This record gives sequence, structure tokens and C-alpha cells, in this order.
Amino acid sequence: MGIETMIYIYGAVCVSMIVFNVVYALLLRGSQPRMERRTRRMAAAVETQLQRLDEGKPLERRHLLVLQRRLRRVKNLAAFDYVLRTLLSRQEDSSVQRYLEQLQPSILYLALVYQRRETIQAAYFSYFLTRYMAKKHLPIQSLQDVLLVYLEKENLYCRVNALQALCAFGSAQHILSALEILDRGAVFFHEKILTETLLSYTGDHEQLITLLWTRFDVFTPHIQLALLNYIRFHTGDYVQEMFALMTDPNRDKEVRLAAIRYFGRYPYPPALDALLGFTLDGNPALWEYATVAVSALARYRGPQVVEALKQALHSPNWYVRCAAASSLEAQHMDYMDLMDIVDGADRYAREILTYQLESHRKQKAGV
Amino acid sequence: MDAIKFFLNCVGVFFLLYMIGYASFLFLSVAVGSSALYQLKRRNLLKNELLQEYYVPVSILVPAYNEEITIVSTVRSLLNLEYKLYEIIIVDDGSTDTTARALIDAFQMRQIARPIHRVIPCHPDQAIFETQDYKVPITLICKENGGKADALNMGINAARYPYFVCMDADSVLQYDSLEKVVRPVIEDGNVVAVGGAVRPCNGVEIQNGRVVSYHMPSKLLPCMQVLEYDRSFLAARILFDRFNGSIIISGAFGLFKKSTVIDAGGYDPSTMGEDMELVVKLHVFCREHGIPYRIRYATDAICWTQAPETLSDLRKQRRRWHIGLFDSLMRHRQILANPKYGLVGFVSYLYFLIYELFSPYIELFGLATVILAFAVDLINVPFMVLFFLIYVIYSAILSLTAFFARVHTVDLKLGLTDILKAVGLCALEVSCLRFILAWVRATALLGYKSKRNAWGKIQRKKINFE
Repeated sequence: MGIETMIYIYGAVCVSMIVFNVVYALLLRGSQPRMERRTRRMAAAVETQLQRLDEGKPLERRHLLVLQRRLRRVKNLAAFDYVLRTLLSRQEDSSVQRYLEQLQPSILYLALVYQRRETIQAAYFSYFLTRYMAKKHLPIQSLQDVLLVYLEKENLYCRVNALQALCAFGSAQHILSALEILDRGAVFFHEKILTETLLSYTGDHEQLITLLWTRFDVFTPHIQLALLNYIRFHTGDYVQEMFALMTDPNRDKEVRLAAIRYFGRYPYPPALDALLGFTLDGNPALWEYATVAVSALARYRGPQVVEALKQALHSPNWYVRCAAASSLEAQHMDYMDLMDIVDGADRYAREILTYQLESHRKQKAGV
Repeated sequence: MDAIKFFLNCVGVFFLLYMIGYASFLFLSVAVGSSALYQLKRRNLLKNELLQEYYVPVSILVPAYNEEITIVSTVRSLLNLEYKLYEIIIVDDGSTDTTARALIDAFQMRQIARPIHRVIPCHPDQAIFETQDYKVPITLICKENGGKADALNMGINAARYPYFVCMDADSVLQYDSLEKVVRPVIEDGNVVAVGGAVRPCNGVEIQNGRVVSYHMPSKLLPCMQVLEYDRSFLAARILFDRFNGSIIISGAFGLFKKSTVIDAGGYDPSTMGEDMELVVKLHVFCREHGIPYRIRYATDAICWTQAPETLSDLRKQRRRWHIGLFDSLMRHRQILANPKYGLVGFVSYLYFLIYELFSPYIELFGLATVILAFAVDLINVPFMVLFFLIYVIYSAILSLTAFFARVHTVDLKLGLTDILKAVGLCALEVSCLRFILAWVRATALLGYKSKRNAWGKIQRKKINFE
């Protein structure tokens, strides 16, 4: 390759970059007005239909057909999203809700269209569903079935949006199916997202938890952990089940720790012995169990709890000591009762407990 | 004469290959970087983002040394972050000015005897102050002087949360930056570190962590650095992010998984480039132990920092960077072309070795050869001028492409003056500043051993963010 050829190649790259920059700048300049025109047209059409609904007439069939055709383009869907958002923010909810109800067949058609699109568009469509269509009083069975297909896409946002839409529909059976799909999928789904989304479920939580519990053992520990956190945030009725998980040595470590945390939120006297057992276990490899159990003991009372916490203050593990100091402080004991530690020979125990007490005192006094 | 001719021919072939490599990398990084930015904008428009609030607890570590001018406003800016679960830890590394006093007075901090879990070795603390009176807890640790890495290690030891963010005391995090930098952690369970996008704040007006007016800096030097940041840092880091090949996360803004950093040994206090060294060390640690990991770059997690406004300050900064680069690459040289490290060894390491560490020497050698060739009348001057012009235009256009891609995708509105400044200065940056910095970097390693643990002293100005 001659040096001249190389120069020509550089020159061509330069020219194409300049063209790219200029064209993009022009497109960007034009995109906002185009979007505004699109939105205005869409708003006018929707307003006409809302008037018909107010007059007691149904939506025009032609309007539905036009929407079906136009909303196949994601830019028009974005404009429609903007129109609906504006309407919902300024109008009486009822006419817009009636409009959305009559839109269901078209939306179902579009759900099938977007199911075949690139995942970025599918994710946007499932967001659209969550926002406008996924309401408890609009339970469209076939739409929920389509959402399960969206959940199988290898795109996190598509999955999150689809799961949120399903939670908004409030069907326990579909949530169970959704979790089974997520558990099979290759895309990482953070347990925080799962727990938070389940908490937004609009149906009967008791019924959902009961159903999920029947299939609990089928799930991987990752999903199990999210479910346990969800249950912990929602109900204290699962103490026996949690106790069984906590005391089962064959269970996954994170699952067992989640079960111990449950007893920190919902004190359960029969679990006390097991919690004390974790606390007093001197095995350094089991420090995580000890730390979480010590934290859970903050809600339990009695001389054996205090004694165990004091003993935990002498643990060689920093995290166990920190948790013990915090739990002892939560016992609201007299300073004199803690003199054996505060004046004791163990400097580490003394320092952490003094810090905890002092910090709490300053916080309380607002010093 | 024949020997000189032969020598010059060999040099010519070497530079041809060198330039092809550089031009291809530049093109690839700008093309991939710009396309990633446009893709991100499209994704956000189509709501391909986590819309609910998910909070991972984060400790923000601010190492400070003689930062009395900026430290209070930096902490105030951190209190404006739109995030719920975080704490702020300032480590005063034996400042000789009133850094600690300024903080204690401004935030009514009280001294407390707090034990610190010293999992990573660091100089001992002298006094600890805390306050719980604000949105999040603020802790000030005064310690013996031990360098920035030592201060960060102290911060890691004191951090209560599983992830920590390190940042510079003279930088400002954008209101949503914490949420954005945490996103990759929620999206991928294997993420151990996330780099934020560092941008010069000269010329930018920021209120409550939000940009209210964006202009190119009024001074030439920071203006050229804006273009340089977009081309060299933004675009290149996006490219490396594509194959998990980032080996630099700026010390001005990065998020790390605390347990992995502790297991890897924390920051190395014996190097000036502790930020880069840590990232390279994380690659080594995770690969050697077979830990699945990802090191990500969050282009939308923005940290505004002061670009040096004088050549003297810029020289000090780049000297420090170059020494850090040298330290990091030499300490972990086992990565080079090692199949165990995949593309990190074959692309990232090699790129930084040739086009960052050796480039100033290669470029100065090139200039010397041109002078030699000119002296012996073996150079085609018009052709050389044409070649140089093509190089300048090529680099300048790629700089502008990266610059406009960033500006377009974050919806910043530029005035005509700013556009003219960018267009006018991009050529100056690649034709002049680049060679000045090549000289600075080429001489950076002279006497580096005596200076590698020192904090860089750059003239501070109060950032206009309130």
C-alpha cells in the first residue's frame, strides 16, 4: 500500500466524519419539531375520541385501525405515550381510563408486533404497558401471556418492565410463571429488583406468597433469597417456615441468613435458642451467621440474651463485635450493667461498646 | 550516507506502522464511543433504564490534603446528591492548613472515639469527628500524612457499606451521579468496579449538582483539555469497556466493591498512580483467582473536576499521571500478551504501553529523525508538511466527533462562540499541546522515585456550584 493510498484513506475518514457530524446535527435540529408535530396530530385524534366517550359513544373503529398502524412505529408510540401522560396529568381520570379500556384489542395486537422487534423496542412497549394498560381492573389474560414471552428476552430492562406490568395486573399465577422464567434465564436479575417489584404487586399479597411458597424449593437460591426478602418486608406469618429454613444445614448460606434476618424483624421466642446457638458458636468460618444472629437479638430480651451479646463482644471477629455492641445498646441497659465490659480488660470490646453508647447518646441529645 | 538512508527507511516503516495503529485505534474508539453515546441516548428515550429507585449502600471517600478552599463546598455538594443510602467519609491526610477545622466548623462535627477496623494497613488516625445532623452521616478522620493511597485505605477501613466511591476533594458529583454509577452493579452481579465520567468544570455553572449553563472555558488551555478529555478518555474508555478491558478508573470518581478491593490488598501507597494500579490489580486478582468479574464504565455518571488552567499545573498533573502509568504497567507486567488475561493483555495493556507510556519517547524520537533527515537533505518537505496536515486534520475531526457526540447526547446547548472555539482549538490541541505534553511526559520519569508518594499540588479555585 502506497503512502498516498493511506493519505486518501485518512482523507476519506475525515470527510465521512464531517458528513456524519453535519447530518446528525441537522437531524437533531429537526427531530424536536417533528416529534412536536407528531404529538399534536396524535393529541387531536385522541381528544376527538375522548369527546365521543363523554357523549356516551364508543371509539371509532377507524381510530383503532389508524392507531394499530401508526403505533407500530416506535416514534409514534413515544408520541402517544407523551399524549397520554399529558392527558392523565390534567384531565379527569375516568374518560382516559375508558379510552384505554376500549383500546385493549389494539394494544394486544401491538404487543404481538413488538414481541418480534429488537429488545430495546420491546422493553419500551412493556414500559408503555406498565404505565397505561397494566391496571388491576384491566386484566387482559392474553396480554399477560404475551408479557411472559417478553420476560424471556435477553434484555434486563425488557424483563424488569414486563415483570412490573405483570405485578400491576395482579395475577398470582402469572407472577409464579414469570419467576420460573426468570430463574431459567441467562440474564442476571438482581434480587433487589425482584423484591422491590414483588412489593409493587397490586393483587392479594397473602395469596401470592402462599402460591410462591408451594413452589419455593423449585427455585434457585438467588430467587429464593429475593422471595424471603419480599416475605420479610410483607408479613410476619411465616415464622415456622423460616425457622425450618434457618435450622436446615443443607440450605444455601444466603437463604439461611435471610431466614435469621426474618427473626430480627419478627421476634419469635421458639427461635431464641437457635439464635443464641449461632451467636455463641465459636467457629470463625461461621462468622456471618453469628453476625446476623447477634443483630437479630436486638429485638429479644432476657438475661441469657444480654449474656450472649456480652460474650459476642469478645468475639475475634470485628463484624460480630460491632453487631453485638449495637444490639446491646438496643437493650437500653443501665450503664452500670455494662461496667464489666466498659471497665473490662478486653480493649476491643470496650472500645466498640463505648463508641456505640457515646454515638447513640450524642445522637439522642442532638449534641 | 547509505547507513543513514537505511536507518531513515527503517524509521519510516516503523512510523508508518505506528501511525496506522494509532489512527485505527483513534478511529475505532471515537466510532465506538460516539455510537455508544448515541445508543445510550436512544435507550434512555425508550425507557430502557431502571425506573424504580434501587439503592445499594455506598460510602463516599474523600481524601484531602490542604484542601481548605474547596473541601466544605465539596461536602455540601455531596449532601445534594439524589440518593438515599450513603455516608461521607473525609480523610484529612495530615494537612498543614485548616482543612479539618473548616469541616468541623461548617458541619458542627464532634470528636468521638471510634474504633476502626484496620483490614488494610495505613497510617494511624489522630482524631475522628462525626455528625449525624445532616441527610447522611459525615465522618472526618484526621491522620498522619501518608499519601493519597494511604488516606484512601484509611477510608476503606472506616467505610460501613459494601461499596465505596473514591473522589477528589476538588471535584463535584452531578446530582444523579451516584445513582448512575451504581446502576451497573444492579445490572450485573459480577461488577467489581465502575468508572465515572470525569469532565472539566471550567466554564460550567452548576447549581445543586445540576448544570445550569455550559460553555467552553474562557482560557485556551482548559478549553483544549475539554476536547482532549472527550477524544482520549471518554471515547477510549467506552471502547475498552466493550471487552472488559478498562485498566484505568480515574481517582476523581470511581465505585468499587469493598470486599474485592480488600481481598486484593487495597490501594498501593508506594505508587503515584494508585487509581490505575488498583484497577490493574483487580484484573490480576480476579483472573488469578478465577473470580468472574466485570469492570465497567458509566458514561452518564458525571463528575465535574477542575482542569488545570496554567501550563505549570498541567505539567505537574501529567507528570503524575505518567509516573502512575509507568508504575502500574511495570508492577503488573505479567499481563502483557498473557493469554490468561485475554484482551486485557493483548489490547489494553499493549495500547497503554505503546501509545501512552512509550508514545512521548517515540514522538520525540520521530521529531529528532525529521531534523536529522532535513539536515542530510533526505526528506521531502512538501510531502512531510502534507502528511502532518493530514494527521492534524484527522485527529482534530475525530476530537470534534467525540466532543459533539457527548454534547448531543446529554442535550447540552452550545452557543456559536463555543462551537467556534471547539473547531478552532481542536487543531491547536493536536498540533501543539500534544507535543508539549509529550515533552512533559518524556521527562516525567526523571527523579520520579523521590516524588512518587507526594500529593500533587495544583492551584485550587472554589468551584462555582452553589
